[in-house]
Amino acid sequence: MLLRTTNVSKQFNGVYALKDIDLEIEKGEVHGLVGENGAGKSTLIKILTGVYSLDQGDIYWNDQRVDITDPVESRKIGINVIHQDYVLIPAFNSVENVYLGSEYPKKNGRIDWKSMRKEVEVKAGELGIEIDLSKAAYELTPPQRTCLEIVRAMMTDCQLLILDEPTASLTDKEAEILFSIIGKLKERGTSILYVTHRMDEIFRLTDRVTIFKNGTKSGVVETNKIDKDGLIDLMTEKWKAQAISHSSAIGEVALEVKHLASRDGIVKDMSFQAHTGEILGIFGLGGSGRTELLECIYGYRAVKDGTITIKGKESRKRTPRNSIQEGMVLISEDRRGKAMIGGMSVRENITLSCMERYTKAGRFERKRESEAVRQQIDALQIRTTGTEQRAIELSGGNQQKVVFAKALMTGPNIFLCDEPTQAVDVKTRNEIHKLLRERADAGSAVVFVSSDLKEVLDVADNIQIMSRGRSKELLKNEGLTSNEVLACCYDK
Amino acid sequence: MKKTEIKKVAQVYGTVLAMLAIIIIFGILRPAAFLTVKNFINISRQMAALTVVSIGATMVMVVNEFDLSVGSMASLGGVMAALMAVAGVPVGLSFLLTILICMVIGLVNGFIVAKFRVLSFITTLGISTILDGLIYRLTGGATVFENIPPTFTWLGTAKIVGIPFLSIIMLIFVLVFAFFMTQTPAGRKMYAIGGGEEAAKIAGIAVGKYKILAFVLCAALASGTGIAVASRVGSANTSAGAGYFLQSYAAAYIGCTVSRQGIPNVAGTFVGAAILSILANGLTILQMPSYMQDIITGIIIVVAVIAQKLGRGDAK
Repeated sequence: MLLRTTNVSKQFNGVYALKDIDLEIEKGEVHGLVGENGAGKSTLIKILTGVYSLDQGDIYWNDQRVDITDPVESRKIGINVIHQDYVLIPAFNSVENVYLGSEYPKKNGRIDWKSMRKEVEVKAGELGIEIDLSKAAYELTPPQRTCLEIVRAMMTDCQLLILDEPTASLTDKEAEILFSIIGKLKERGTSILYVTHRMDEIFRLTDRVTIFKNGTKSGVVETNKIDKDGLIDLMTEKWKAQAISHSSAIGEVALEVKHLASRDGIVKDMSFQAHTGEILGIFGLGGSGRTELLECIYGYRAVKDGTITIKGKESRKRTPRNSIQEGMVLISEDRRGKAMIGGMSVRENITLSCMERYTKAGRFERKRESEAVRQQIDALQIRTTGTEQRAIELSGGNQQKVVFAKALMTGPNIFLCDEPTQAVDVKTRNEIHKLLRERADAGSAVVFVSSDLKEVLDVADNIQIMSRGRSKELLKNEGLTSNEVLACCYDK
Repeated sequence: MKKTEIKKVAQVYGTVLAMLAIIIIFGILRPAAFLTVKNFINISRQMAALTVVSIGATMVMVVNEFDLSVGSMASLGGVMAALMAVAGVPVGLSFLLTILICMVIGLVNGFIVAKFRVLSFITTLGISTILDGLIYRLTGGATVFENIPPTFTWLGTAKIVGIPFLSIIMLIFVLVFAFFMTQTPAGRKMYAIGGGEEAAKIAGIAVGKYKILAFVLCAALASGTGIAVASRVGSANTSAGAGYFLQSYAAAYIGCTVSRQGIPNVAGTFVGAAILSILANGLTILQMPSYMQDIITGIIIVVAVIAQKLGRGDAK
């Protein structure tokens, strides 16, 4: 047994991110790891690579108990990870990148570039990887970069290679190259922990799969003894939408998106309609491009193709400013970076998008402004020492209420909400849900993105599935179960 | 009052207290020469140029950028106005044209920074070098002083009921720009950009436009400073503005310590410029060699930057 963990647990702020995880990986095995967003996959990877320390449990490596205290230690015993985001230095060439973090060979006191290059060529050759070694990393294609990282991992005596969503940025053809390398690694006896959302890859590549659910292990199976539905069953908590009180009927189309593609290629082909009176959930797995989609619609991210029609008016060149003027607001998922200005007061944050309203002859009327802000503070029950407290000093839930207050001040009727209840307390979360429902009932259209499927099922009238930047099924949220939604997401 | 509150008050008023302490020290050492109304009027005139250019630097700092071309811009302002006046352009018009031309240069600064999202540090360093070359082309490297009309020096030397006209202008500028930055939407938007550029963008603020505005205003104030200096001394030195670059940022950084959150602000910058000018004046009266003035000014700048960091609460 190459790796065995027993009862590994990790808590953050008193909440278990991982609980009693027993994981076993054999020598030369490709072991899949699946689970929903937030199931604990990343936490486990970080424990195995020494980024997090564990609270409880033991790790055995080749049947010896080990303490993985830091990333260097992890690499030393033979664990390497290849992340979703590359950790190559863009301006360095392949040889330099491969040797990052390891000792440069020297000859007569000078760096021996020749032998370094040869060594890299040999390692790459063994895996059948062809890369122009003198090219800088930024000149390489995404699969070439992944290959380069694998070569780097092989420079040390790597016995366990962890691949974290390695195909996320690859095309199908590019992924094939990666798969053939995985085959070669397996032949050489290197074990692989393959973490992915993509079911087809699990069935194609892995020998066994461990399934995580809410920080616990819900099963480990031999891949050829289970099918997709069986896996999804193990991954998801059975959750059925509560009956939503649709008080008003869904009205006309408020926002229509057709074949939208972002310039950065993350959103590829997205089409959907959001109606007045509707809360439309957009659900997709991590990396499906939900945030990017909303930012494109709002005019914050560059659009390459497609049309966005707001209340029957098509507009090509979008800016956040004209979105606000047209009555559309974005509640960004990145609260501290994009949704509020921490160093500014609650007052200044709330009136940020409409401050001109509180001026007379070009000068602020502080009294009138404070009065309007106080009304919002009361209406949303924001807990603050007053209008002048800095936003950064508030709790997460109250910060989010400030963000909502800022949006509401512009009198919007289309809401783009990206993880609006992220890192807020349960009470605020319910208040936000209630607020959005009230707005929908009053004739607004709400686009609701959350990585928490249960939440989407609780809140949305309809659910638009998004997968790898494309729109998939549109599901009516009546008696819908989490399994049915996920089955659409995992479908190839 | 809690301990943290006391600390905050000390942070805000500490800088003002430091200024008073400096005055008291010089007052004790040289009461006859330093502690006179005449000397303080003199200081107010000397600090006018620094204050005005520092307000410009402050506004660029507010939008989280840097303008390294303020020194060269000031030199160019003085040279251009003087050359125009010598060539027979009415003095008032020569001042106005100079400021307008420099505003266009500021527009270029701002446009490059906003449009191409490049480091303002490098952009304005490049522009600054171009301006230095331009000044040499205009003057051949020589100070402009021959045939300067007498009206040219009125701005820098006139007094109104015993108070230098420059000092009055300085006070007006401090009030106007402090008002602009704290009481108008444009000012608050600039602070919002500095506080969080992406959040400002999402809130619908035209980030590029206000960054450009900051650079344009900075250029206008820098060139105005150059004009004032040339007018005060009756000639335009090709590097008259060079010293103002570092001094203006020093004033602005000292000014940050006058704000609770350690952010740049016009009133604070005024205090900063006053501290630097009082120091220069006092040390001269004490007949300290100029290198000592450099050393002391340098120490104050470093201390101010550390104090500003501590004020923001993000120091390690």
